[in-house]
Amino acid sequence: MGLGVAIAFGEMLSPGTYTNVQITWLHLPPAPGVFPNGFSLVMGTLVDPLSSLMLVVVTVVGFLVMLYSIGYMHTEHGLPRYYAELSLFLAAMTGLVLANNLLEFFLFWELVGVCSYFLIGFYYEKPSAASAAKEAFLVTRVGDIMFLLGIFLFFYAYATAGPNGGWAANGFVFAHNGSPFLAGVMGRNTPLLTVAGLMILGGAAGKSAQFPLHVWLPDAMEGPTTVSALIHAATMVAAGVYLLAVTSVFIGFTPTDQLAIVAVGGFTTLFAASMAVVHPDIKRVIAYSTISQLGYMVLAVGAGFAMVGLYHLFTHAFFKALLFLAAGSVIHALGTQDLFKMGGLKKHMRVTAAAFAIGGLALAGIPPFAGFWSKDDILGSVYSTLGSHPLYWPFFLMAFAAVFLTAYYIFRAWFLAFSGDHIRDPTLPPPHEGPWVMQVPLVILSGFAIVAGLFVFAPGFASLLSGAGIPPTYTPTDLGLSAISVGLGAGGIGLAWSLWGNGRVYVLPDDSALQPLRRLLLNRYYFKVAYDAFGLRVVYTVARGADFFDRFVIDGTVHGFERMFGAASDRLRRMQSGVVSDYAAYVIAGLLAIFVLLLIVGPYVVARLGGA
Amino acid sequence: MLPLISIILATLAVGTVATFFAGARARWVALGVSTVFLIEVALLFAGYTGWPGYSTSLVPGFSDTETYAWIHLSWLRINYAVGVDGISLVLILLTAILQIATVIYSWGETHRPAGYFGLVMLTCLGSFGVFVALDVLLFFLFWEAVLVPMFFLIGYWGGPNRRYAALKFFVYTHVASIVMLVGLLALVFYSGATSFDFSSIYAAARGLAPEVQVFLFLALFFGFAVKFPIVPFHTWLPDAHVEAPTGGSVLLAGLLLKLGGYGLIRWAVEVLPYAIHALQPLLFLIAFLSIIWGSVLALAQRDLKRLVAYSSINHMGIVLLAIALDSSLGLLAAVLLMFAHGIVSGLLFMTSGSVHHQYGTRDIHTLGGLTPTAPGLATLLMAGSLASLGLPALIGFPAEFTAFVATWNGIGYWVLIPLIVLVVTAAFYLWMMQRVLFGPQKGLPAEVPGLPWYESAGMGILLAFTVLFGILPSLLVNVIVNSPVKGFPGT
Repeated sequence: MGLGVAIAFGEMLSPGTYTNVQITWLHLPPAPGVFPNGFSLVMGTLVDPLSSLMLVVVTVVGFLVMLYSIGYMHTEHGLPRYYAELSLFLAAMTGLVLANNLLEFFLFWELVGVCSYFLIGFYYEKPSAASAAKEAFLVTRVGDIMFLLGIFLFFYAYATAGPNGGWAANGFVFAHNGSPFLAGVMGRNTPLLTVAGLMILGGAAGKSAQFPLHVWLPDAMEGPTTVSALIHAATMVAAGVYLLAVTSVFIGFTPTDQLAIVAVGGFTTLFAASMAVVHPDIKRVIAYSTISQLGYMVLAVGAGFAMVGLYHLFTHAFFKALLFLAAGSVIHALGTQDLFKMGGLKKHMRVTAAAFAIGGLALAGIPPFAGFWSKDDILGSVYSTLGSHPLYWPFFLMAFAAVFLTAYYIFRAWFLAFSGDHIRDPTLPPPHEGPWVMQVPLVILSGFAIVAGLFVFAPGFASLLSGAGIPPTYTPTDLGLSAISVGLGAGGIGLAWSLWGNGRVYVLPDDSALQPLRRLLLNRYYFKVAYDAFGLRVVYTVARGADFFDRFVIDGTVHGFERMFGAASDRLRRMQSGVVSDYAAYVIAGLLAIFVLLLIVGPYVVARLGGA
Repeated sequence: MLPLISIILATLAVGTVATFFAGARARWVALGVSTVFLIEVALLFAGYTGWPGYSTSLVPGFSDTETYAWIHLSWLRINYAVGVDGISLVLILLTAILQIATVIYSWGETHRPAGYFGLVMLTCLGSFGVFVALDVLLFFLFWEAVLVPMFFLIGYWGGPNRRYAALKFFVYTHVASIVMLVGLLALVFYSGATSFDFSSIYAAARGLAPEVQVFLFLALFFGFAVKFPIVPFHTWLPDAHVEAPTGGSVLLAGLLLKLGGYGLIRWAVEVLPYAIHALQPLLFLIAFLSIIWGSVLALAQRDLKRLVAYSSINHMGIVLLAIALDSSLGLLAAVLLMFAHGIVSGLLFMTSGSVHHQYGTRDIHTLGGLTPTAPGLATLLMAGSLASLGLPALIGFPAEFTAFVATWNGIGYWVLIPLIVLVVTAAFYLWMMQRVLFGPQKGLPAEVPGLPWYESAGMGILLAFTVLFGILPSLLVNVIVNSPVKGFPGT
């Protein structure tokens, strides 16, 4: 943690000087075609504003989650495995953040993915955990394949546009201020680059659980809550946004790509938030919220405000980790994740209740908490582009509407868990606050959730954010917009209070017109059902059919030949009758056959082959 | 300079005979021979002169060459000619690694150990011979020498249906061998080569008419490709693997399949450059078919070994694709893939074998929740699966990545086929792990004998090389690219 923070502060003190060192990992020989000069895969580290911002998030949240784990996990089995996998994750995540080229990025991207797979499946005896781990790996794998293809396409675009007519001999490396890659590709608008950008978007959507590859993240809550906080809220899932930001800064997206990214991000904010509204599981509510918030970041990057997106990534990492760790504190005390069994916890768990409330206020975008500044920055920035990009309008409105839902669902969760005067399920153990190792991270993260947004007013941080040439655009002209969004947030909290406040439980009447909508939301728009059906019904049925074909048709043909030869040899055996005149007849027939072959077939073969 | 290759051949030959007659001490002899073999391979690497600027040997680019007259008639010149280049060196290293890992893994073999270890030695001797032979007849003799011990390994030490599987394996590959022999002899005589040497055939084959090249290539390709195996000549492989003893499976997947790939590169692709160019569409079609068929079928398998066998068909399909690209980069990718697949499939077959030894079954539907009772084995199976599905930092990734780059470089968007199939490959491994390793324990013994040290050690060796070459693939790449193959810097 110390190192990461030190690097980041060093970056703030001396903006503009970036550390960039690298070694050659694998050199591929020249090949005619796309890269006649040979091609090196390099491993390097680049410390610049983007990576130092991510480093702070990874190291600070990583350290606090490790600390929290000492208390949260102490009764679990398999702790060596847990800490080893968590450490491997932090190493891989640091590598991803510091990667100085897309291929190295991809390599560590895969490694954080497999760590996520390990840790989602930490409770591997639970079938649901084992299934969720597989699902997470597979769905992100779909994105990974697109990412890899995107890299190929970018390289190809570079190779055909670049000055030296081939892949650079030193690979291609992120560089500020005019790398050869930028000169060759940036700012161009070709179909090839558009497709490449869409592929990168696909990769990012897989990792950051954006529509339609969002299904794995809620199920990933099968892992320990600490893992959810670190990997599935603060760091790894944000890697997709980071990828988009890095790509937009160093390579650039075409206008079509930008619209696609805005569409995916904007739609996901509302889509995911709507599912969080009805869910009874405290961790899954926060997971849907993560998907929705990642949608805001994607929206910002797509609209061309990479650093604004990363600014929200920065604040979100702290308040979302805080929410998860606070939820973990509740789960640790009660052993359940069902909101409807909780209630009245604020009397017993004051620190946790306060922490969750602070996290909730930050998420709902209430000033002066962290989320307000960054979320408003996003809405304001996107709003400023609407004049020139009218197609952004619907997605901007979706993101705006999601503000209301966000405030509603997170305070629904708070009221259900903490308000009222008694626990609804009396069979639960008496609640208690966790040990100090769990409370200290909550307090520290609460501090960040309050002030992280204000960092933008600190000169060092501002220069860090503006280092990539795209300053955060928090300006007074957005005040009207801010007022509306804060009003929406307050309205959401008010609605939550009226339905769920003071231990109330709102039951939707059976004949309500909203029942079908509620069922649709509870069933997650049937995406998971459809994907599972596709996997199990369609793909597996095809595989079984192919297996049948393999065994009975292909291998059956082989056995057919076997029987044919067997029958033929039976005949031949019977021909050995022992009668000499029979043998004489065979000899003459054989000789005749040879003559025929030599006379008729022979010249043809010689003419065809030998003459050449 | 020492005739190192002959010394190694002698070591292996004497070692094989000694193992056959060593009785109960066979495993010690086998371990000793494997260790010496590994050291000698290290020396071979150290003395490799295929680097740019050397080429002092008879055949340009080949290192450690030896040529002695063997059968000389007025019209026939057969030599004892051996030598190595980067491609064969890497596969020889694979042979040495798999041999010692197999010997250690099979340490507990009590059923006629002298015969078992002797046959393992003989298989590796034959493979080594195939990789060093630079004379057609020598090559063919070693090629056939591999079939016989594998036939007996499956037929005597195998599972309940071993006779059927062994016979199927032998007939299938033997028919292919005969077609290949006809092709090789036709290559020698039609090209008018002055001897059976690789160098003279290589030079003479340039003068062959295009249609003759195509005809000869098809014969050779059939012979080599059944060993790959390619769809639709693959059905011997799953049966052979299911019935073979674990050590047999390791050598079958790790070495025998590589003989096909090596033979295709050395005796067909390099020698008949026009043919591969002309037949490219056909080869791509077969490669794509194998890639898709192997992966989709693996999804439907219930037996762990059958699953790994079908994944081998998928991986060897990518090898064929890389070879068919007819570029130096493609050849590099093919050799890397073969090495990676040799190590990783060896590891996977060993873990499948250990699962069988511990639980008495390899049926995916019967197994479940193995991790608590066998954590070490579960870790190894997981590591092998992740390596096989191409996780970075393990050997599968650099190999597959190079293959995809080569495919993209060669045929552009067709790379989508192997890329999309990667999702299916991930799916069958992940689903297998979910069902076999995770979830609640099914009706299996709660207490198992535990992994014996020698099985752990055998798998540990392979895992170590999986990680080593996954992190430092350049160790292999720098050797391979210094081969006398067109386009490589060595030429």
